[in-house]
Amino acid sequence: MFRPIRFLAGSAIALGFALPAFAAPLALTGAGSTFDYPLFSRIFYEYSQKNPSVTVNYQSIGSGGGIEQFSQKTVDFGASDVPMNAKELARAGFPVIQVPVALGGEGIAYHLPHIKKGLKITPDVLAGIFLGTITKWNDPALAKLNPGVKLPKMPITVVHRSDGSGTTYIFTDYLSAVSPQWLAKVGRGKSVSWPAASSVGGKGNEGVAGLVQQTPGAIGYVELAYLLSNDMSYAKLQNKAGQYVYPTLQTVAAAAATKPEISATDFSIVNAASPESYPISGYSWALLPVTPANASHAAALKTLFDWTVTKGQADAASIGYVPLPANVQATAVKDIAGMKE
Amino acid sequence: MSGAALSFANRRKFSNYAWVGLSASLSVGIAAILLLIVLYVVISGIGAVNWAFLTQVPHPVGVPGGGVGNGILGSTIIIGIATLFALPVGLLTGIYLTLFAPRPLADVLRFAADVLASVPSIAIGLFAYEVLVAPFHHFSALSASFAFSVLMMPLIIRTTESAIRLVPIDMREAAVALGATELQTLFRCILVAARPGIMTGLILAVARVTGETAPLLFTAFGSQFWVVNPNQPMAELSLQIFTYAISPYKIWHDQAWGGALLLILAVLALSLTARLLFRGKTTASL
Repeated sequence: MFRPIRFLAGSAIALGFALPAFAAPLALTGAGSTFDYPLFSRIFYEYSQKNPSVTVNYQSIGSGGGIEQFSQKTVDFGASDVPMNAKELARAGFPVIQVPVALGGEGIAYHLPHIKKGLKITPDVLAGIFLGTITKWNDPALAKLNPGVKLPKMPITVVHRSDGSGTTYIFTDYLSAVSPQWLAKVGRGKSVSWPAASSVGGKGNEGVAGLVQQTPGAIGYVELAYLLSNDMSYAKLQNKAGQYVYPTLQTVAAAAATKPEISATDFSIVNAASPESYPISGYSWALLPVTPANASHAAALKTLFDWTVTKGQADAASIGYVPLPANVQATAVKDIAGMKE
Repeated sequence: MSGAALSFANRRKFSNYAWVGLSASLSVGIAAILLLIVLYVVISGIGAVNWAFLTQVPHPVGVPGGGVGNGILGSTIIIGIATLFALPVGLLTGIYLTLFAPRPLADVLRFAADVLASVPSIAIGLFAYEVLVAPFHHFSALSASFAFSVLMMPLIIRTTESAIRLVPIDMREAAVALGATELQTLFRCILVAARPGIMTGLILAVARVTGETAPLLFTAFGSQFWVVNPNQPMAELSLQIFTYAISPYKIWHDQAWGGALLLILAVLALSLTARLLFRGKTTASL
């Protein structure tokens, strides 16, 4: 005998019994930057260990997606490697507090047989590769920079982000600063039209890192934490002072030190002038509503980010991020205080 | 003369062998592909599957261990609720269009179900986002269940229809001849006989959505925690596999394979159940 009603009722009752078995902590939801994801997943994990009454669910969908979902108010907070601009703020239609939460560098990762990290690259060559004018690994321009390294006669595959990405913004911001040709032809943005003929897109920093690892001859820009956790090969990049530097906690911190005061409208630290600084460095930002749509989340959200920009930074260095400089922390705390509870 | 006839017969025989051989080897090829996929997933995934993997939540990058326990729970809840939505609607629509709808309307319904069945699942996910996520300002398992139920409905409608059509007209006539009302005929005769077919359709619909990821990206959203409230973002197994598979971390890749193994086993079990049920139909109910 087929009794759909009995089946449905039975299922509903079973589900009803299952529900109260778990106590529900306050769940905050965030989305955005994949640049921040390793840091956030660590910081928020620590935070939940200390404050079991709050859980933070952060999904790394990319900065573009983060701004979009934050503007649609489907998440409590967003995260982006480039602050929302005036147009995006107007589109969101509600007041937003933007505070820096992470400081990191982007390494130039590559995948070449028998060549470990440390290939020397200049801004010109890097722009040439991403513009598609340098297409082979044994190009004379690259060979000249790396005497003694046996470069393979392999085509270069450019790996870039397929999603709207603040990591892309920082990278194209850098190329625009060092290459007039890039600035004229491509410019800066969260997603741009990639000119190199042989280029593929990956979703998120994780996607680009994965593609570079799987594709011999590939080159791409990847957040430092991803490079370190995957033991990838990455380049020594020539900075503005002419020095070849690796992205490290020290060289990124040196870049940040050249610009102590940052704000959501004046934040670029690429191509910094000091001889120790790594040129593709940048801040990543949390997007917070002044008045959270869900009022019951307001206090928890405020406390969480107060902790994130101060004590939470203690964990940053162990996974490849530079702790925020003290003055940046102080400004962030002051800004977060502007949230209404 | 007889020589020519012989060679004609030989040629036919040869051509016959050749075509049968080709068909047979291609069929074996299909089976081999399935076997290879299953084998590959088993080999890559078996190492990751253990008790902790089945019962723990994901750990953050750099903290070893962790599992997909919350994803398994999430899949069960999301698909369970989707079934609660889809079954009554699909079943009643299937019954109506087979037994009661006037001809032109039945054709329109059937066509609509077929078109709905071929809408890409990502489009249905976006639809669910627009109607259930954006207006309410939060992601939820319910919106994922809604998207899944839309994917399941056309399958249930069409299998319900064919299951009812398989019930011999004699049985319906016999019921009516015994004085049964239309409702009695439906519930105590037609649906009883069609039940194995309907259950098969339901199970196949569940199996279909079990492997779906696209509609979840902007509905269920994912979570690292145990979530049972369907009004909140929730983890889901195939979504977790997707996140892990595109990650650059070896341990997450291994866990993605482990998750894929669980999914394949689940779908295999569902398909086998459907088979057994349908086999039961032809012998038991007639």
